[in-house]
Amino acid sequence: MMGIQQAYQCLFLGAVLILALLIIISMIRSVLGPRVADRIIAVNMIGTMTIMIIAILSVYFEENYLVDICLIYAMISFLGVVVLCKVYTGVYLRDKNMEANMEAVEDNLSQQKQEVHDYYENE
Amino acid sequence: MAWQWYRFGAASLCLVTGIVFMILAVFGVNRFHKALNRMHAAAMGDTLGILFVFLGLILVRGISFDSLKLFLVILFFWMASPVSGHMVSRLEAMTDEELGELLVIRRSRRIKAKEGEDSPEDRGESQAER
Repeated sequence: MMGIQQAYQCLFLGAVLILALLIIISMIRSVLGPRVADRIIAVNMIGTMTIMIIAILSVYFEENYLVDICLIYAMISFLGVVVLCKVYTGVYLRDKNMEANMEAVEDNLSQQKQEVHDYYENE
Repeated sequence: MAWQWYRFGAASLCLVTGIVFMILAVFGVNRFHKALNRMHAAAMGDTLGILFVFLGLILVRGISFDSLKLFLVILFFWMASPVSGHMVSRLEAMTDEELGELLVIRRSRRIKAKEGEDSPEDRGESQAER
């Protein structure tokens, strides 16, 4: 009969392998993604799965300090997503020569709403 | 010794559930076509996947200081994930000029066309879209 230690090791190893496969798939998506937002979403998900892998490995190797690394990785991943969003918003607004405020978003959304309304009207 | 196997069963159930949620999230991100639809699938992995995987690890670890840290990671993710999702959606709403062409709107238009006059042109158009 398999010991409990071996059972835990098989479980963690399988989980880490599946997560590694999923990371490769979302890396492909982050390369393929047609828009910047798709890439940022894929990179955010890669970060999530990396955090899971680090947490599983901390239990697998019984190393307690890996949990701290996991916590810090979560913070840095969040910071990276926020900075990427800010940077790409700034790049887009600089190309369009606009101010970085919420009025730009509302203007864009109202314009699209007007376009959809016109589309219905023409039908 | 039996309770250890019970604990192993509960932990493996939680872990497998979390992994299944992550598989569904990756599947959804690859399957949807628009960034705002993809965010829906990705947010599910960020909340439920993290919750179940870390719950399984907490069950393995038992009550200790590391379990508290793992719980803190869950708490941090549940606070940070909506914020980053909001940032990404704002970026998408600001930069996408064809947001009005979402699939939802097209489908509602198709339903409207079916309910209204049922001319063959509309039907052919809706079939071509599909």
